[in-house]
Amino acid sequence: MKILIIEDEPELARSMADYLSGQQYRCETAATFSAAMDKLSAYDYDCILLDLMLPGGEGMSLLHELRRLGKQDGVIIISARDSLDDKIQGLQTGADDYLAKPFHLPELAARIYSLIRRKQFANSNHIQHGELFIDLLSRNAFVNGTEVPLTKKEFDLLLYFIGNRNRVLSKSILAEHLSGDFADMLDSHDFIYAHIKNLKRKLSAAGCAPYLKTVYGSGYKWEE
Amino acid sequence: MNRLLNKTIRPLTLYALLVLVLSIPVYYFLVDYIWVNELDKHHLNIKAKIEQEMNALPLSDSALQHTLLVWNAVNPGSSFRETDASQVRPDSTYTQIRFDDFQQDREQFRGLRTYIRIHGRTYRLLLETNMEETDETILAIAGVTLLFFLLLSGGFILLNRRLSLRFWHPFYDTLQRLRSFNLEGEQNISLPQSDVLEFNELNRQLEELIGKNISVFRQQKEFTENAAHELQTPLAIIRSKLDILLQSSALSKEQYETVEAINRTLTRAYRINKNLLLLARIENRQFSERETIDLSLLTRECLELLQEHIAEKQLQVSTDIEDGVYIRGNRVLAEILSSNLLLNAIRHTKNGGNLHITLHKGLLRVRNSGSSALDPDALFRRFGRASTETPGTGLGLAIVQQIALRYDWQLNYTFAAREHIFSVRF
Repeated sequence: MKILIIEDEPELARSMADYLSGQQYRCETAATFSAAMDKLSAYDYDCILLDLMLPGGEGMSLLHELRRLGKQDGVIIISARDSLDDKIQGLQTGADDYLAKPFHLPELAARIYSLIRRKQFANSNHIQHGELFIDLLSRNAFVNGTEVPLTKKEFDLLLYFIGNRNRVLSKSILAEHLSGDFADMLDSHDFIYAHIKNLKRKLSAAGCAPYLKTVYGSGYKWEE
Repeated sequence: MNRLLNKTIRPLTLYALLVLVLSIPVYYFLVDYIWVNELDKHHLNIKAKIEQEMNALPLSDSALQHTLLVWNAVNPGSSFRETDASQVRPDSTYTQIRFDDFQQDREQFRGLRTYIRIHGRTYRLLLETNMEETDETILAIAGVTLLFFLLLSGGFILLNRRLSLRFWHPFYDTLQRLRSFNLEGEQNISLPQSDVLEFNELNRQLEELIGKNISVFRQQKEFTENAAHELQTPLAIIRSKLDILLQSSALSKEQYETVEAINRTLTRAYRINKNLLLLARIENRQFSERETIDLSLLTRECLELLQEHIAEKQLQVSTDIEDGVYIRGNRVLAEILSSNLLLNAIRHTKNGGNLHITLHKGLLRVRNSGSSALDPDALFRRFGRASTETPGTGLGLAIVQQIALRYDWQLNYTFAAREHIFSVRF
């Protein structure tokens, strides 16, 4: 899987490349408008991470250009501008997703994972993962063909873990993923513990191997 | 409070009164002096005429005696009395008030006592003329003065009303425009030109002052937005580095806890930043599109989203949410308003406390149990948090207030029966 990171902030680009490389993605970076344009027209990528404000031009024009060339690469806009207008404009121009800075890298990884899934399996949107089968459309999970009754949050967590396999996800990262804008209002992130416990219990009851591990006491990792 | 125009009238009237009162004796003395002087001159003239005409008449001694007898009897303001030449004194004048038989009234007379010679005989001649009495003169002058005073003060008031209002019109006009001025509108007011130098100068200075204020206000807002915006990137880098650090296999449990602590703090910094941006955007009127919003639905959805946090704090929630309450506004802002109010209540209620949500047509009210009243001034101020126990962004209620201001909704805080009550009237 090839990912192009178009981001003018070198440290941020490096972090993204670091994290994603560990996920079996091959990452390339472009820091300027023209560099990005060169790479876009020469190669195909499974996913393009696009910063909107670039030296030498607007990220949005790159998106226009990409779609004009008839390329169907998945595009996730990563921008410090997070107003609704920006999001709508980005998605209408043909971006597949929009992630506001600052984001957690696991969040980015999960979005990329889901985007590539959608692009690759346009008709049968599902994930087969060993004994685990996840239907993304009906939002159901099965172990060896038996349905695992998961709540909405547990299902979200499961997807998040699958998108960040072999990665440590801390309690605060999970809390933020689950509660979004309300995360800072929580005085404790303990509610995560209950969700994880239930998810683990339900998966193991259905006969799933114990992929989900607790690390450092309060962090979690989907290990394969 | 007195109006400026009324203030000028009073000293003017008092001054007019003083001048007019002082003018009464002056007028009197002047009139009296002219009066007496003229009469004295008149008397001397008469004396000279009598002396000349009498001596010119070819009268015999007895005829003269007879004539003078008739003269004295008729008494046309003069009388003769023969006297010895040795008795002659210099002329003297007098003023006398006495009862006059002929007029049957108290009268004042001016008289001349003099001596003349007719055909060799010496006579004492008394000439008298009836003049106005002193007290009546003073009374008449005072009366006229009073009349003039009334005319003056009446004129002042009328002129003040008519003319002054016209002269001061530009001033009141300026005042009116200043009253309707709103800094947040960022529209400089155009003050009318007037033909009065001072008013023009005042208006010019005001326009300059307001212009400066607007530009400072704008800069401050832009600064907030730019500063918050510029902070996003460094925050994003730190966050990504922490995510990478977390994956390090050599991480100890203590180091993991440190990374988590930094993560939580970073999230708070990011939220503050995001809220500052949001405030700046609301102020900059960036949420312009309006729609009709089902507030009943929105409030229920918001409660549903927060269910987890309510359960975690074991809050006793009761709701009285009427169906079909609609408001006009921006959906994003309406969501932020209701979620901020609810979050604020959830966050600041002790475990096991009460939370009550009321939604009726035109009113959203959130009540939560608390121990003591909060300072309502600090409550809605940016970073003016009333309690330091729970670290929030310090901006949640400021945002609520800004949204309420934006739509002219009345936001209110009261404390009663050990409950904090926040209400919004739409």
